[in-house]
Amino acid sequence: MSVKKVWTIFDRSRLYECYECSRCSGSCPATLTHHTLGPRKILLKCLQQGQESVIEDPAIWYCTTCMVCQDRCPQEINIPELLTGLRNIGAQKGNVPEKVKFAVEKIAKTGRSLLTFRVERERERYGLPPLQEIDTEEVSRILTETGFFKDLKIDR
Amino acid sequence: MHVTRDKANEKPKIGVFVCHCGLNIGGVVDVQKVADFAATLPDVVFASANLYTCSQPGQEEIKKAIREQDLNRVVVASCTPRLHEPTFRAACEQSGLNPYLFEMANIREHCSWVHLHDKVGATQKAIDLVQMAVTRSRLLEAQVESSVPVIARALVIGGGVAGIQAALDLADSGFQVYLVERASSIGGRMAQIDKTFPTMDCSICILAPKMAEVGRHPNIKLFTLSEVEQVEGYVGNFKVRVKRKARYVTDDCTSCGDCVKECPQLAPDEFNEGLSTRRAIFISFAQAVPSSYVIDMDLCLNKEGIVACDKCLHACKARCIDFSQKGEELNLDVGAIIVATGVDVYDPSPLTEIGYRRFPNVITSLEFERLINAGGPSHGNLIRPSDQKVPKRVAFLQCIGSRSTRANKYCSNICCMNTIKDALLIKEHWPGTEIKVFYIDIRAFGKGFEDLFRRARREGVEFIRGIPGEIIQDPETHDLTLIGENMLLGEWYKYQVDMAILSVGIEPRRDSKHIQQILNLSTGKDGFFLEAHPKLRPVDTATSGIFLAGGAEGPKDIKDSVTQASAAASRAGILMTRGEVKVEAITARLDPEKCTGCGMCVEVCPYKALRKDEETGIVHIIEASCAGCGACAAECRFGAIQMRHYSDKQIYAQIASITREEPEKKIVAFCCNWCSYAGADFAGVSRIQYPPQVRIIRTMCSGRVSMDFIRFAFARGAGAVLVSGCHPADCHYINANMQTEKRVKRLWKEMQKKGLHTDRLQLAWVSAAEGRRFAGVIQKMADDLERISEKELQKTRAAYEKFLGKEP
Repeated sequence: MSVKKVWTIFDRSRLYECYECSRCSGSCPATLTHHTLGPRKILLKCLQQGQESVIEDPAIWYCTTCMVCQDRCPQEINIPELLTGLRNIGAQKGNVPEKVKFAVEKIAKTGRSLLTFRVERERERYGLPPLQEIDTEEVSRILTETGFFKDLKIDR
Repeated sequence: MHVTRDKANEKPKIGVFVCHCGLNIGGVVDVQKVADFAATLPDVVFASANLYTCSQPGQEEIKKAIREQDLNRVVVASCTPRLHEPTFRAACEQSGLNPYLFEMANIREHCSWVHLHDKVGATQKAIDLVQMAVTRSRLLEAQVESSVPVIARALVIGGGVAGIQAALDLADSGFQVYLVERASSIGGRMAQIDKTFPTMDCSICILAPKMAEVGRHPNIKLFTLSEVEQVEGYVGNFKVRVKRKARYVTDDCTSCGDCVKECPQLAPDEFNEGLSTRRAIFISFAQAVPSSYVIDMDLCLNKEGIVACDKCLHACKARCIDFSQKGEELNLDVGAIIVATGVDVYDPSPLTEIGYRRFPNVITSLEFERLINAGGPSHGNLIRPSDQKVPKRVAFLQCIGSRSTRANKYCSNICCMNTIKDALLIKEHWPGTEIKVFYIDIRAFGKGFEDLFRRARREGVEFIRGIPGEIIQDPETHDLTLIGENMLLGEWYKYQVDMAILSVGIEPRRDSKHIQQILNLSTGKDGFFLEAHPKLRPVDTATSGIFLAGGAEGPKDIKDSVTQASAAASRAGILMTRGEVKVEAITARLDPEKCTGCGMCVEVCPYKALRKDEETGIVHIIEASCAGCGACAAECRFGAIQMRHYSDKQIYAQIASITREEPEKKIVAFCCNWCSYAGADFAGVSRIQYPPQVRIIRTMCSGRVSMDFIRFAFARGAGAVLVSGCHPADCHYINANMQTEKRVKRLWKEMQKKGLHTDRLQLAWVSAAEGRRFAGVIQKMADDLERISEKELQKTRAAYEKFLGKEP
């Protein structure tokens, strides 16, 4: 299967604005805890060595799209958008952490990405009504038809 | 002086010279083809292609052709007339041809440079532009230029180091100089700085002697607490109104300081960047010139003559406090003006992640200058604001507010060296201090700069590549933690420091718009005043007689400011020494036979140069007051007013020439000489590409464009029309472009009524620096051309049919 180019999702010329000040990497909470590539290096590798140099790296999944890098970038480059694009392409190449797969399966089964039994208990304690039922049938159908299960290689 | 013959009335004999300009034009346009085409045009008796028409041999060829072919019109197709029109006019004049019988086709900035990849389109456009020029040249008339005397006095606005240098240079060459400064003392930014790079000289020690010299120079009249309010007139003859505020302290002040001790009122001291306080009566610094105290009436308890507090009055033994002083208005007549209004510094508070104004120990580089200065609030002791202790660990953060789309896009030029100098200053006084400089690039490009950079490294200043992402403050100790990536090591850092200094960029004065408007200057997209030519006329402005010096023109250090100030003084000196200037013969002329005395023209003239004679009932033009915008000629419905060198006939001929073939694929663009034409030139110089459909007609002002020109263009089947001028309030003819807007809006309404697409008539304000904007407008209009239907074109033609018949 041919892999989509990230430049069809993200305008490459925006990256030419980067002059390597590293405010993004210095701001990234994920990078500061994991000491991985960081947004600056991902951006630079992508530009100079092509997307192949990063799409199979687990580092692209550390991004939580908190948007702080974009917020502080002096050139206003939308870095989270690039990361999202890279994760999309990475997933097609099989670069998906088990935790993400787990969350997707949860969504398919319960319509929610988290286990909710503790939430339900808390709600009950505060006298709140239980969480709404979700039509998991429909969620599952959406995930199938958008190719989610196929891309993430989740067996149904 | 050459005697020129008025050959205008003879049968036209036109010579056309098409320039290769090396590969600048020749690399894109088939120059020989253009020249061959020109030779086939009626009245053209000579046509040639030249490698460099502006060169001496190129000019000789023009002169030779004028002599041998007895030419009475010359057309050169080359670069923008804003560059070489004077060159070729002079060549014509030397061969006995009136310079106004010369015409230029701009096939470089408006053609080859903007259609680099469309050789066929560019060649066709060049052919059209040459044909337009030939058509217009046939109708040119000889004009006589008049000379006006130049007043041998100059005005310098701003008393920083640039203004001081310019004033001294002019005064030393024997000219009278008025130096106008807004603050209570001259000195400017340089007086605030502790040391200068790269020599580490004491700033005020080298500036103070110059300030004192200004104060006592017999040829300099210094006005402090004064601002320029209005400027009228033109090169050589400016009338300037200056508003001078009262000082409330007479010239007898000995600056003993007894008054200050008694004053009850406190305010932040601006000179110390708010790091200390001053009283309502104050002197900004010890070396101030004039060396006199001043009362800040906004702070003083006394208001409008009501004396509520007279403590200073009683304290003053010399009896020099005078609450009754009034501000005054000064009217100055000067021949030249030098603008040296200086710069402001970037305020980093919007960058919340680095905590300026939230964390006391994060300060700016200018605040640091005051802290380390012996005359500053801490008497030269480096202390951190939170606990007044000497910091042991100091960080500098570079590029704060520079090189960023969030703040200023440009490099501020001085901050790298300023930081290196500051780091060395700390090392000099407190050698044990740990200093880290967080940078992106260190730009040490000037004479002696690299040496200073090396010295800083040798003295142990650490340079770390990578700006911290954020600064965190310990709420107890007010120590700071800097977090970021050390790019060169590929590692992450977390440094604790006692103090962080933000190396802030510099920007145009926040109120520079005011000076820009009263002097009719242009600004670049960075907001600094624009020079007439970035390489060859770097201190002139587009308005003749006005020159630039120092930071007002762009970020620069002291040495460059002084150099530029001397250059500006020299340029102003040349003008005043010559004693007279030639004024272009582009003025309005009235035909009393056609004038009905309706008075519409009188209403639109920004210069009050037209007056209705009550006796004869017709209008009379005061030519000396006319600046040549042409707003009157465009307003006159009876064709009674004609502009010299920009007549109706000539403009109709240009429009007719553009719409000769495939008019539906053409954009007829009217561009004013000062802003939009220059903006289109700038697009060319910057090689910003746009489609070749546009044909530009140059007028002095967009106010010259009459509604009938536009109607005529549509009647001829033009696809679209663009009217383009200076931004509102930036008009070089006071406000003549307001007439432009009024006329275009009126036409939009008319088109709407006739059921036509108003998109086909565009109005765009384009400044001389907005090449990209100009290209954008043309791109959009060219895209729209594709969508115009044959039916729509026919409808427009029919709607304006009665405006036909103006063709030559």
